[in-house]
Amino acid sequence: MTETLIISNILAWCAVIALVVAVLALSRQVGILYERIAPMGALMMDAGPAVGSAAPRLDVRSLNGELLHIGAPAARSTLLFFLSPTCPVCKKLLPILDAIRRDEAPWLQVVLASDGEQPEHEVFRQKAGLGHYPYLLSQELGMSFRIAKLPYAVLIDGQGVLRAKGLVNSREQIDSLFTASDLRVASVQDYIDQTQLNKEPA
Amino acid sequence: MSFALTLDPVLGHGLAASLALILLPGALHKLRDPALFQAAMEQYGLLPARWVPAAAWTLSLLELAAGLCLLPWPTRAVGALLALLVLSVASTAVAMAWQQGRRRIDCGCGAGVGLRLSPGLLWRNAVLLACALLTLLPLSARPVGWPDGLATCAVTLFSMGLYAVVNQLLANQPRLQELRNAP
Repeated sequence: MTETLIISNILAWCAVIALVVAVLALSRQVGILYERIAPMGALMMDAGPAVGSAAPRLDVRSLNGELLHIGAPAARSTLLFFLSPTCPVCKKLLPILDAIRRDEAPWLQVVLASDGEQPEHEVFRQKAGLGHYPYLLSQELGMSFRIAKLPYAVLIDGQGVLRAKGLVNSREQIDSLFTASDLRVASVQDYIDQTQLNKEPA
Repeated sequence: MSFALTLDPVLGHGLAASLALILLPGALHKLRDPALFQAAMEQYGLLPARWVPAAAWTLSLLELAAGLCLLPWPTRAVGALLALLVLSVASTAVAMAWQQGRRRIDCGCGAGVGLRLSPGLLWRNAVLLACALLTLLPLSARPVGWPDGLATCAVTLFSMGLYAVVNQLLANQPRLQELRNAP
């Protein structure tokens, strides 16, 4: 009798744990669905303007009143960095972004972009010492590049062509955008995929 | 007749192991990327910026110590007290930031999914606090065998799975809210 109880208990525990794993998998899938159909992302995780095509042209006034022509031909390339005052990863990347702004200044202009209430962004800009950057507040800008997750970076060259874009969480990932731009591929991952495809015998 | 409040060994060991395995990954996540945790802590706006790094390191190391001490039996009480301290401090910070209107910030809990501040997070922490309190109770003296060991492992696996589900559902909540409020 005891043996039967022990065996049925073990089976019951296995079933309970399997059910927890199933619920976890389902809740993760629900989370992904919410993400995909979020109002900003609108069913397209990567359906923004394609790399190699002309970037959307927008005239946006920065927080210090300067008018920026995003996507228009310019002397330098532009790195659009989409961030939010409530995103810790964005904050972590700010010193890295500052180093890039100084080191790459001859050919690159770093522009910060976000949307929301201006006073909140003014306080964030002042506290984080972002006075050196053009800081844009424009929902239209985020919509036109289909930004669904932050921090997101977009690299536009001097001719207004979108050279690379992606979700960035580290210095390496920002650098990979420059590498992708140099290699004329959409992303470094794409380059690796292409070289692997070329290596495979026909 | 004397009455002493005791906990069954399966429940006692299971709860302690679950708490330890919940706290340890959180602590390791914070220690692996201190800058990220400090940035998350800064968002709470409860401490002057110059105190944030020290507070972040202290909290992460206390969480690690709590997790490590909960596992061996001789140090379990210390681990439970440390867990109570860490969870109380974190929950108070969440409640204060929520009260002050900072509702869209990341909690920085190191749960693997982006968790925003919410009353649900406070309920989750309240359950963890209750578990930490329960692990302080003495264990009832009864002979234990291998089925008890197996049950303890099952309880631990189950509570870790449940914790992951709760975190995922809490992370989904604001997205669902945005969808509900979408035009």
